[in-house]
Amino acid sequence: MPRILDESYRVAWGDLCYFKENAPTILISCLIGPLLYLVAFGYGIGSGMESGIDGYIRFIIPGVISMATLSATFSFISSKILIQKLFYASFDELMLCPIRPSSVVLGKTLVGILRGICSCAIILAIGVLISPGIKVTAFLFLLVFISSLTFSLLGILAGLLAKKHNSLTVFSSLVIVPMTFFCGTIFDVSNVPAILGYAIYALPLTHPTEAIRAVMLDLPIPWLSVAAICVYCILFFVLDYCIIKRRSF
Amino acid sequence: MGTIIKAEGLKKSFDGFEAVKGIDMEVEAGEIFGFLGPNGAGKTTSIRMLTTMVRPTSGKIIINGFSLDKDLTEAKASIGVCQQHISLDKDITVRQNIKHHAILHKMPAKEIGPRMGELSELMGLGPHMDKKVTELSGGWKRKTSIVCSIMHRPKILFLDEPTAGLDTKSRHMLWDMIRELNRSGTTIFLTTHYIEEAEDLCGRVAILNQGTIVALGSPKELCDSIGYITVEYSGDDGKKSMRQFPDRQSGKEFMAKLKEDTAMSLRKTTLEDVFLIATGEEYSEGGV
Ligand SMILES: Nc1ncnc2c1ncn2[C@@H]1O[C@H](COP(=O)(O)OP(=O)(O)OP(=O)(O)O)[C@@H](O)[C@H]1O
Ligand SMILES: [Mg+2]
Repeated sequence: MPRILDESYRVAWGDLCYFKENAPTILISCLIGPLLYLVAFGYGIGSGMESGIDGYIRFIIPGVISMATLSATFSFISSKILIQKLFYASFDELMLCPIRPSSVVLGKTLVGILRGICSCAIILAIGVLISPGIKVTAFLFLLVFISSLTFSLLGILAGLLAKKHNSLTVFSSLVIVPMTFFCGTIFDVSNVPAILGYAIYALPLTHPTEAIRAVMLDLPIPWLSVAAICVYCILFFVLDYCIIKRRSF
Repeated sequence: MGTIIKAEGLKKSFDGFEAVKGIDMEVEAGEIFGFLGPNGAGKTTSIRMLTTMVRPTSGKIIINGFSLDKDLTEAKASIGVCQQHISLDKDITVRQNIKHHAILHKMPAKEIGPRMGELSELMGLGPHMDKKVTELSGGWKRKTSIVCSIMHRPKILFLDEPTAGLDTKSRHMLWDMIRELNRSGTTIFLTTHYIEEAEDLCGRVAILNQGTIVALGSPKELCDSIGYITVEYSGDDGKKSMRQFPDRQSGKEFMAKLKEDTAMSLRKTTLEDVFLIATGEEYSEGGV
């Protein structure tokens, strides 16, 4: 285990240098989206709701945090991988060094996880200010961590598979953007028709949303969702690992 | 000293186009091995296969005793590569690029600083160390790549056109450095379009054309094989032609038969002549 951590840190070193020097812009850019949703949906739509604005704000904060684990990681990681692969060719250097594929995969997720956790922490701080009743536990951070890891791994997958920048944009608008809205982030999935519900439950973002909401609103933990996040995480890791190991990108 | 690079039946196809058509070769430890060939011959593709970056369509590669099919990581630990295309991370500085490279190759932390200082001074990179890669001129980027490739003291160094884009002085400095590295035991595998320099530097060369090795041996062996003496002359249509002869005497006899007013000269055959003939790019039907 220590060896994989050591190697992953070595892989991430260059990205971390960039992150350290550009932290404010990197963080602001990934906060804008979730905060806009919080204000627009929370105060805009929430004010017209029966449950009242406070109830909807309480509902939407966990959704926005879950959304941030996706928006702060996926596009950042996938475009970084694609650029390093196609335009800088610095991904080649990574393939040239005596580091195992598993460490390359994990190392490349590190800035994503960092970005995910930082932006969630900031949204959480704002959330606690505007809705003091919500719960913050260590398990919440574990969920944010796993979710950020999962979507960073998905970002690596997309970056490795994309042959040009355009395909990444298409994937983003066809899969990622709908996912941010439909996966229970801003509305309750149990209210949608059954057929659509199944589709929504097949998407990876639904599960961290459900789990994070349960923790923050002090509801029973949906262990099935927690397991589903882990399954997606392992699935994406294995796919990334195989692609890098087989050098088929 | 034994074989350090071995390739058997190495092939690579891109969507049906066969870029490398079956290469067999062995490079001895401690050698400077030149890999020559016209544009598109498959040099870079071969180097990318030998250095683990591209998976061959078929064939076997053994690097420093490790088969690339099984012991990929171990094989990687013994090589350094300077690619034809600059492969630096343009989001970070020169210093960070070099340091990241050393970290990836697991150099002990306390060795990194001194080694980086030594090499950047040798290359004259000092004033550029804290610039972003995008702020560098082409030659400086190349020098940064070269520093990265030798930073971790690899046993085998692959250089794919390391002198492309370098000024004359830097080029000479680089050739000296390659000799020095070779003296200290590094095996060098290099490609270049400066054939006279390869002739000067390399113990053996392979000439690649359209994905196959068409000549292999020491520069002298190759020159002797086509004829040690070359006569250059302009033909009736004014085009320059050349012809090789096994000795000076037969060269002179040939010259005596040419028309009086023909411009002609007799000289030693060079590796460049071999190259032109072997790749079918010679400017007349040469050969003996
Ligand atoms: N990724 C690729 N996809 C498709 N074709 C490729 C790819 N890489 C190389 N080729 C083709 O393979 C052939 C050999 O290319 P390679 O880069 O190995 O040549 P080279 O000998 O290094 O040439 P140069 O002296 O110009 O660097 C060329 O015809 C090239 O078009
Ligand atoms: Mg090339």
